[in-house]
Amino acid sequence: MAQDVVALEELHGTGWYLRRYFHSSGPPHLSSAVVLQLTRLHKRYGDVVALAGCTFGVGRGRMLGFLGPNGAGKTTAMRAIFGLVTPDAGNVTWDGQPITSDLKRRFGYMPEQRGLYPKMKTQDQLAYLGRLRGMGAKESGASADRWLERFGLAERRTDPVEALSHGNQQRVQLAAALVHDPDLLVLDEPFSGLDPIAAETMSDILREQAAAGKAVVFSSHQLDLVEDLCEEVAIINDGVIVVEGNVRQLKDAAPIRHLELEVDGEVSDLLDTLEGVLQVRSDGDRRQTVIVSAESDVRRFLSQAQEVGRLRHFSYTTPSLSDLFREAVR
Amino acid sequence: MSSLGTVWQIAFREIKERGRSRAFLLTTIFTLLLVVGLVVVPGLIGGDTAEYKIGVIGEGNEEIVTSAELLGNASDEPDADPSVSLSTERFEDRRAAETALEAGDIDAVLVDAEEVVVESVGGFGESAVLSLLQQGAASVELKTIVSESGDAAADVIEVMTSDPLETSTLSGQEAGDESRGAVAYAGLLLLYMAVLIYGTWILSGVTEEKTNRVVEVLLSSIRPWQLLAGKIAGIGVLGIAQFAGTIAIAIVALQVTGTFELPTLNAAAVANLILWFILGFLLFAVMFGAAGSLVSRMEDAQNVAFPMTLTAVAGFFVSIAALSDPDGVTAVIGTFVPFTAPFVVPVRASLEAIPFWQYSASTVITAAAIVGLVFVAGRIYAGGLLRFGGRVKVREAWRSAGE
Repeated sequence: MAQDVVALEELHGTGWYLRRYFHSSGPPHLSSAVVLQLTRLHKRYGDVVALAGCTFGVGRGRMLGFLGPNGAGKTTAMRAIFGLVTPDAGNVTWDGQPITSDLKRRFGYMPEQRGLYPKMKTQDQLAYLGRLRGMGAKESGASADRWLERFGLAERRTDPVEALSHGNQQRVQLAAALVHDPDLLVLDEPFSGLDPIAAETMSDILREQAAAGKAVVFSSHQLDLVEDLCEEVAIINDGVIVVEGNVRQLKDAAPIRHLELEVDGEVSDLLDTLEGVLQVRSDGDRRQTVIVSAESDVRRFLSQAQEVGRLRHFSYTTPSLSDLFREAVR
Repeated sequence: MSSLGTVWQIAFREIKERGRSRAFLLTTIFTLLLVVGLVVVPGLIGGDTAEYKIGVIGEGNEEIVTSAELLGNASDEPDADPSVSLSTERFEDRRAAETALEAGDIDAVLVDAEEVVVESVGGFGESAVLSLLQQGAASVELKTIVSESGDAAADVIEVMTSDPLETSTLSGQEAGDESRGAVAYAGLLLLYMAVLIYGTWILSGVTEEKTNRVVEVLLSSIRPWQLLAGKIAGIGVLGIAQFAGTIAIAIVALQVTGTFELPTLNAAAVANLILWFILGFLLFAVMFGAAGSLVSRMEDAQNVAFPMTLTAVAGFFVSIAALSDPDGVTAVIGTFVPFTAPFVVPVRASLEAIPFWQYSASTVITAAAIVGLVFVAGRIYAGGLLRFGGRVKVREAWRSAGE
């Protein structure tokens, strides 16, 4: 068994199984619908390499969770979409066209560091941003009011932004990205600092936007939330996308499974008979968490385990997105 | 929406938000009050007649005092309060007079029309009264030389305070054009103030957008040059309106109180001042805007403003030199350096001491410098805006905006 653990360690840091699966042919269901495409972006700041050939895309009506450890290049890649960063090489296209300043007005961006004019009235601010993106005065004012209504901030419309609570400022920041009804929504860490209720509202809005045919890209460290929300993810590490694809398929394709069991009786001898055990961890007295190869014959093991003693708990699952993430960026 | 439409949106927001901010309203009100105060209060105080009391011992002193007073008031307006008023007090002996002088009851002592005693020399009050008395005594002596009989004192004083030689200039100015210097100086001072005050507004306005990070949201939709142009236009309009309002109030107050007689200006002189005011303002505004993009915090803004402030101060001093020697080497060199030209050229033009070709060349050079700076500063601005944290080096900003 010790040998097997070593084998898993060897897998770590390579993400080989994921790459082998997807990068050989690429996810076929995505390529047809892609509207925003980042291709082989390179960017370095002095000695720091921020992007090293970053390539990914997102389709209309789709939501992409953009994941990666701190400093992996998420923000740089997102800024490159808006020309806020000029890449050293590579390009960004929308519908196959390079991003022009007219095109940019149809995009919405929520930067990681929130930014609004603190002393400007909330509704004025949203309407102003709408106008900058080409809306008429009436249209942008009405849209600003609609979003404030939606966030329950209608009575605060004439308050300066600085007078709002942190959570409400976040809502206004989101409204600032949405006020002009953009075709593309790019959100850098939209969930950070939100309480569970506010996060729920944020999720609902993102779902709605995708359902309305917008392309949505957002970064987050809350992987459970991403797993819940997104069909597709892209994981970036050291400036390059290491995993990209449908969450369900990624998990199914993983060569490992999580096995959890709790039996009234001694199972360690039994575990030795199971082929493809990669790691065993005991939680408390009886519960065992085992990482096994996806090919292991768990059905046979289960029936044997039931003979040893009463089976109190049993679960057999694909790895979580967090597991995939850890594996991919290690 | 067109590019210029965007610039207008930004400028409009700037005017609207800044215009109703408490800071703007307070500084405007304060400036207006200050200007009105400076103009009106001296008028209310009722002129500034300097009153002196002269102690006299012996004979012949009164004539000197009378002449001194006439001389002191010779250049007054006919119906204005006199500039000086001298009165006398007779003392029996020198000792009593000196005691009174020491006590401050009198300002000077005349002894037998031959000697004057003051408490000390070098102080302002004493020098004034001393020189008045000396001039008075001189005119009395002149009178005796000129005419042994009759009252010639008034004639002597008239001659002494007149300009007997007719003045003509190479530049073709007529006598009475001396006020041009004052106009040039006033224009210079106004430009200098406008550059520093509104340049600082632009600088802090740009830094503020970095501090609160709104710049990242804005630049996701618009281009850096649009933001810079809108900011300069908005603050420029607001600043010039504030400035023009202040000047207008000052002029009205001057007219009403009659404290100071305004020189009459012709249209060309006004056009000259306005042209160079705009050129100077734009030149510095662009530089202040670029400087503001290099820092993320207000505390650092002071440091990046330093080169511009220094340039403005240098321009100011070069043009002071031009004021006294409008054809001098300093003035001519200053004419062709775009950073000093906005200060120097209007001064030389006001004094009619600049050849047409120099004026035209300087206008072209300065305008070209502004266009060039818009590109350079625009790129520094674009490169600096999204680099947060410490102070961005100019070269880094330049490079990171490279396309």
